[in-house]
Amino acid sequence: MLEASSITKSFRHDGLTAQALKGVSLTVAPGEFVSIVGRSGSGKSTFVSVLSTLLAPDSGQLLYNGQDLAAASEAEINALRHGDFAVIFQFHYLLPYLTALENTLLPFMRGLKPVSRAQKTRGLECLERVGLADKAMRLPGQLSGGEQQRVAIARALVKDARILFADEPTGSLDSATGSTVMELLGQIHKDGLSVVMVTHNEEYARLAQRVVRMEDGLVVQA
Amino acid sequence: MNILTIALRNARKKWVRTSLLLLVFSLGVVSIVALSFVSRVVGEGLEKKLVSYGANILVSPKSEKLTVSYGGFALGDMLFDVAYLDEADTVARIDGIALRQNVSVIAPKLVVMDRVNGAAVAIVGVRFEQEKLLKGFWTVEQGDFPATPEGVLAGSAAAAKLGLKLGDTVPVSRTEGPTPGAKLVVRGILAPTGSEDDNVLLADLGQVQRVTGRPGKVNFVEVAALCSGCPIDDIVGQIAATLPGVEIKTLRGIVEQRMVSVHFVKRLILSVSLVILLTGCSMVGISMLSAVNERKKEIGILRSLGFSRRAVFSIFCAEAAVVGLLAGIVGYVAGYLVSFRILAVLEVEGGGALPFEPLHLAATALVLALLTSLASLFPAWKAAGIEPSEALVTL
Repeated sequence: MLEASSITKSFRHDGLTAQALKGVSLTVAPGEFVSIVGRSGSGKSTFVSVLSTLLAPDSGQLLYNGQDLAAASEAEINALRHGDFAVIFQFHYLLPYLTALENTLLPFMRGLKPVSRAQKTRGLECLERVGLADKAMRLPGQLSGGEQQRVAIARALVKDARILFADEPTGSLDSATGSTVMELLGQIHKDGLSVVMVTHNEEYARLAQRVVRMEDGLVVQA
Repeated sequence: MNILTIALRNARKKWVRTSLLLLVFSLGVVSIVALSFVSRVVGEGLEKKLVSYGANILVSPKSEKLTVSYGGFALGDMLFDVAYLDEADTVARIDGIALRQNVSVIAPKLVVMDRVNGAAVAIVGVRFEQEKLLKGFWTVEQGDFPATPEGVLAGSAAAAKLGLKLGDTVPVSRTEGPTPGAKLVVRGILAPTGSEDDNVLLADLGQVQRVTGRPGKVNFVEVAALCSGCPIDDIVGQIAATLPGVEIKTLRGIVEQRMVSVHFVKRLILSVSLVILLTGCSMVGISMLSAVNERKKEIGILRSLGFSRRAVFSIFCAEAAVVGLLAGIVGYVAGYLVSFRILAVLEVEGGGALPFEPLHLAATALVLALLTSLASLFPAWKAAGIEPSEALVTL
């Protein structure tokens, strides 16, 4: 399904070059739950950003269902981000002036065509699934951190994505709320979604089917 | 809910910034609209005032003059022959020129000499309705403008010289045709004007033509032209083309003064408007640019959800357009109302006739929306160039 081979990525800052990824490879099968763990600076967030197309690699090959994403056009990448790929971050990143429901429906608000009634129903279902149906009309500022993260998950679910990339989804949450979010990710995986999660929490990482360990820009355990 | 919801909700959320922007831009529009209305009223008033000073084009038949001096005795300038114009034809031709809309008055005249109460006096046949427009400065001191063809309006000096009072009869005895003379009645006496009108008797042109046996004839035609939008030379050229063989004189001083005054006011308004618009556009641009930097993460979210660069570009342009649209509506309505106050303060008459034009309102709002969108092009382009990685990814 998703296959990354020999991915390299470096960053230049103040004239210095830092090699974040030094030829990393990973394959994610359909419906698989993969955790990427490692210490800070090991390159795990950079790797998941490359996998989710948010960051272009310097070299290497990234194949999705056989399509070379390095050679894909911007429109094709946009279509992937809008369709099959969904990303949630450590910081939920909701639009502060839209309600929970509107944030959930954001993927459908790309053009002048109004969101349909069916899409609204779908948005409410997703909010219900993450336990926030009663708070659909609240603004992000009126929700707790855990609730905001759950809205971000609902936003990922609403578009029927195939792979969910989660970059430290519990990083800014307390342990109880983090557990709720992890439980939710587990349910989503059970529904058939592939999940690639970056975490530094070993306990949460063990909930995945496979744990990939990174160190210094390399995969040391796959 | 669609992409515009994002723009509108953000504008509402950042209401302080939106309100300030709206206020500044609306003030600009208020100034432009109010100045435009005021300049229109002042310009029209100026035109009316200037026109009230009289004609600025004189159309007369070509005539030969001789300066006669013989044996040390000078007879002065003598006309070889008195020529006439055909009133109906001349007026119709002037009426038919392409720049007719710039001609406010066409006033034909026939001048005859007669003796009243033993004194020589000029009787001028005029069309009173045209004459009233041409001589806005006239004031009838006694009586009123003649309402019937037999009525006479006496100049102040002529009335004094001939001892004429309201209701007195003025016999017109000198005729050239078979029609006998007529008795005209003094219906009004003009207040002193300081012009030649003080020394003449003014009567209905048709009546003067009839009793003097010169039906349809006039000596000359006075034309008042409004030249805020046309060069006087063009009007003269068109009259000359339609009336070959006549003499056309322009009173350039007055005409040019009219043009200079009107053009000055218009240029002033245009300059002030441009400065205000440029300032407003700069503010919109700067404000949007700072918004782009503040909203990098939002842009990153949208891009990570598959929003294209064009979609992000549209959101920022739409936000600016909303401000422009509202500023156009608010500014136009407020400017319209403010113009009444300015006209009252300046004690300028004519404000009551200011029409509120919904089409102008719509056009102003659309132009403003377009301008603010143009002002936000660079910030919107910058926003569209933001990659999700630089906005969201913590490396």
